[in-house]
Amino acid sequence: MNLKEILEITWLSLTVSGSAAVLSMLVGLPVAIFLYFRRFPGKKFVVTLINTGMGLPPVVVGLFVALLFWRSGPLGFLQLMYTPAAMIIAQFIIALPLVVGLSLAALEQVDPDVLLQARALGASGFQLIAVLLKEARMGQLAAIIAAFGAVISEVGAVLMVGGNLKGYTRVLTTAIVQETRMGNFRSAVSLALILLALSFLVNWFLTSIQQKGANRWKNPSWK
Amino acid sequence: MEKPELEVRNLKLFARNKPILNLPHFELRKGEGLVLFGPNGSGKSTFLRVLSFLQMPDRGEIYYQGEKAGPHNRRQLSLRVVHLLQKPVFFRGSVRDNLLSGLKFRRVQAREQEARLEKISALFHLVPLLNRLPDQLSGGERQRVHLARAFILEPEFLFLDEPFNGLDVEFRDKLMADFYRIRKATGVTTILVTHIRDEAVYLADRIAIMLEGNILQTGTPEEISSAPATAEVSRLMGQEVLVEGVVEGSDGGLLEIKTCGQVIRAFGQQQRGQRVLLTFRPEEVILAVDRPATSVRNWFYVEIRDIRPFDRMFLVLLDCGFRLKAFVSRASVEELRLEPGRKIWAGIKASAITTWPGQADGEQDI
Repeated sequence: MNLKEILEITWLSLTVSGSAAVLSMLVGLPVAIFLYFRRFPGKKFVVTLINTGMGLPPVVVGLFVALLFWRSGPLGFLQLMYTPAAMIIAQFIIALPLVVGLSLAALEQVDPDVLLQARALGASGFQLIAVLLKEARMGQLAAIIAAFGAVISEVGAVLMVGGNLKGYTRVLTTAIVQETRMGNFRSAVSLALILLALSFLVNWFLTSIQQKGANRWKNPSWK
Repeated sequence: MEKPELEVRNLKLFARNKPILNLPHFELRKGEGLVLFGPNGSGKSTFLRVLSFLQMPDRGEIYYQGEKAGPHNRRQLSLRVVHLLQKPVFFRGSVRDNLLSGLKFRRVQAREQEARLEKISALFHLVPLLNRLPDQLSGGERQRVHLARAFILEPEFLFLDEPFNGLDVEFRDKLMADFYRIRKATGVTTILVTHIRDEAVYLADRIAIMLEGNILQTGTPEEISSAPATAEVSRLMGQEVLVEGVVEGSDGGLLEIKTCGQVIRAFGQQQRGQRVLLTFRPEEVILAVDRPATSVRNWFYVEIRDIRPFDRMFLVLLDCGFRLKAFVSRASVEELRLEPGRKIWAGIKASAITTWPGQADGEQDI
């Protein structure tokens, strides 16, 4: 395995899992906000489903996405099977309940009196959401950290819908599986170290944003 | 006639079919400082939330400056009002951010924001605190920021829910004096909620007495103290229940009431044979070693049961067949050598006792 190949695999891992995490945030956060503000019959059931979904086995997700995009499946005409797009979709489904569940939990941690006081000071509906998100942003960063962590490390779904095609859909996790099967432990360990380093770097970046926010809250010296 | 600044008609709110608010009519005049006074759980905070549209009533109409509130103008009317909740909660950010938050919600221009910040932080002595975080402030400082956050918006109506709660006495008195001065200077129409009588009397142009979702009486502190509408109002305004008795004789409004082997004289409109409830103010009771020859009509030879320090005064519990309380100064305690077990004379003017129809008449329950 040459360097170019390793860089390609690493880059694909980062873009597929990064896109899935960002997409899940873009969809999941509004869903969490909706669930926070709205009362409707069956809400408890929906929230329980979402919380259950946080532990969704990637192979199960892979199976259903594969059934969906299989040539004879309902979305087969899109011809997305064994493409990076299918991998992003599968990882997005894995990440979504995590983002919704953890974001909702973070929003519910906000003191309701803060929102009531914001309304009493004249906040409009959108301003109220802005106050809520600002108050809960630590929890939202935790949600995106958890979502990215879950999808960058999973192998079941990307293997099933991506197919581990060399130079096209091979990512770090599927490459590690492949190299291990072939007995190339040196390559497998190298890829594993890269995966760990990548995971660490992304989390380092997100955590430092989170901690900066936390420090701003605690430390008086900022302006 | 000039329209009231705020008017409420037939307001009703229920919770689990139990009435929480029942206000046939309520109004507020321009620049007025009204204190909503009543015990905890009487519906005061709920009423404020309804007025500032944070909670919807089940029935009734609210008019701001003659404009009837409805779904079409609720948001716009709500911007004339600032409502400070009882608990001072702060948003993420510094004191400055918190002071500016309301102005940002109202999209006030940046230059105007800075001008108002400068003015308000000087008025509330907040300049050295602007870059601090709310977590780093003392209770008193937090309360000051909380109040300033309302005044900075220069609202037409200011609703404050127990704004001096939980402060130490010295600081509370100072902040109350500052608040009174600033309110008078700005002329903002205010409703302040409190369950503390001294606060109500000190801050109010008018007091509205609230109990179980109803407003029992509205008037200046003097009007309410001198002529409480019901026995509950008199009790809330600091009168103590003396005793219940039966009218034995009546002479031009001066009643002779027999109870517990004593005769008490008080003014009232009740008829002979009627049961009456008597209330009085403990600070109007006079204590003496020898019975003095004065115009005081009621003198009782009483035994001292207990003496306790009570808010800069001493509370003396007396037994004269019924329970009597008196507030006396430290000097009096020493001069009269008051101590439990000792017998002395206690006097109270007939005019210092208020009479109410007694419980047997089925009208008052206290």
